Amino acid sequence: MRKLLDFLIGKRHWFLFIFLEFVSVALVYRTNAYQQSIMFSTANVITANIVSVTGSVTSYLNLREKNKDLLERNGRLEMELLRMKDMIEAMKADTAVFRAFVNDSARFFPYDFTTAKVINNSVSYLSNYITLNKGREDGILLDMGVVSESGVVGVVATVSDYYSVVLPLLNTKFKLSCKVLGSSHIGSLSWNGRYARYANLDELPRHVQFQIGDTIVTSGYSAVFPEGILVGFVSSFERQRDDNFNSLKVELATDFQRLSNVMVIRNFRQEKQWTIEREAQGDE
Amino acid sequence: MNNVIRGISYFVLLVLIQVLILNNIHFLRLVTPFLYLYFIVKMPVGFTSARVTFLSFLLGLIIDIFSNTPGMHAAACTFAGFARPAIIKVLMGDELPDAISPSFKTFGYGGFFRYVIILVVLHHFTLFIVESLTLFDPLFLLIRIVGNVTATTLLICIVEAFNVEGQRND
Repeated sequence: MRKLLDFLIGKRHWFLFIFLEFVSVALVYRTNAYQQSIMFSTANVITANIVSVTGSVTSYLNLREKNKDLLERNGRLEMELLRMKDMIEAMKADTAVFRAFVNDSARFFPYDFTTAKVINNSVSYLSNYITLNKGREDGILLDMGVVSESGVVGVVATVSDYYSVVLPLLNTKFKLSCKVLGSSHIGSLSWNGRYARYANLDELPRHVQFQIGDTIVTSGYSAVFPEGILVGFVSSFERQRDDNFNSLKVELATDFQRLSNVMVIRNFRQEKQWTIEREAQGDE
Repeated sequence: MNNVIRGISYFVLLVLIQVLILNNIHFLRLVTPFLYLYFIVKMPVGFTSARVTFLSFLLGLIIDIFSNTPGMHAAACTFAGFARPAIIKVLMGDELPDAISPSFKTFGYGGFFRYVIILVVLHHFTLFIVESLTLFDPLFLLIRIVGNVTATTLLICIVEAFNVEGQRND
């Protein structure tokens, strides 16, 4: 008995090693699920406060370019607004009963957004995450969509009171339903873990017409993003193995490496859509 | 007591450097140096296996929490820490006094370099294997391991060369 005890004590670093490895691997697997715990992520107050130091320093670095991007976008939106106004005017003039168009503006638009600052960001892992400086107190909830001024970023995966962690497109767990602008067939966009600028759009039926450089937008089916938000541009394509589908290489519109300000989109009808979808699945 | 304070300040300083600066480096979109391993490298030779393993696990876990990768760094560090006494024994033999820390002076230039590179290879290998459980891509994996091992080893050796505190201590 004594010898056995001596032996066990002598080898105690082995037991410790096996135990700690077990804990680590358990953590890896437990968090491989879509959502992370707040304690082990940058969503908790202590870690978020520390990482935000870098965020607040680097946010000054690209101001010139950011400003240029915003001005450009502003210009584009203004042009669009003018075009829309012009269109409404033309329709008003053409139609005897124009009230229908005017009243349209009062129709309930189910999306709202909050701006947030990126305080921590990674692009070098296979599972990357982005930390934002807004949380539950600012109205951020799980599964809200996140976009930047140039395109889709990801989905909120963990929320604490003041911070939240986003699962971005640059995470191999993330899948986004997308389509080629102008067509209605959807494919599934995912990241292959290699380059921060490219993702793959798979399962797009072969008869969908597109060209290199065409725009890829969100489909709006998922209730997370509104339809038609810019995702990226087709840069090349190849046939998938079974020949009925195309696989497209998509150059992402969002530059994840210099992300600093994002918008979190809230869909007021998300809950309703999911409830009804679950009911439908339950009926089968 | 002095040693404990020194150890804690090493720990805090290296974690801060790692999460605030180095985690934001993605050279060629592939390479992020993991300088925090310097803590495992510099633990005194006399530390027991169990202690080194546990401290390494703690270090890895804290890095994990900051980079949103629960378990990955912890698994890799635990393995590196566990293997450390064996590496030292194989490279330098049993004769080393307990109080010294590995450094260019105590291990010699070649010895220290070999010691660091073996430790870093073990750590990175575990880290990237655990990471690629989600997605396996052998060539990419190999490129990343080689790139990161080079960066981390170089950085650790550079820091060691400039670490006046470590040299004066012997």
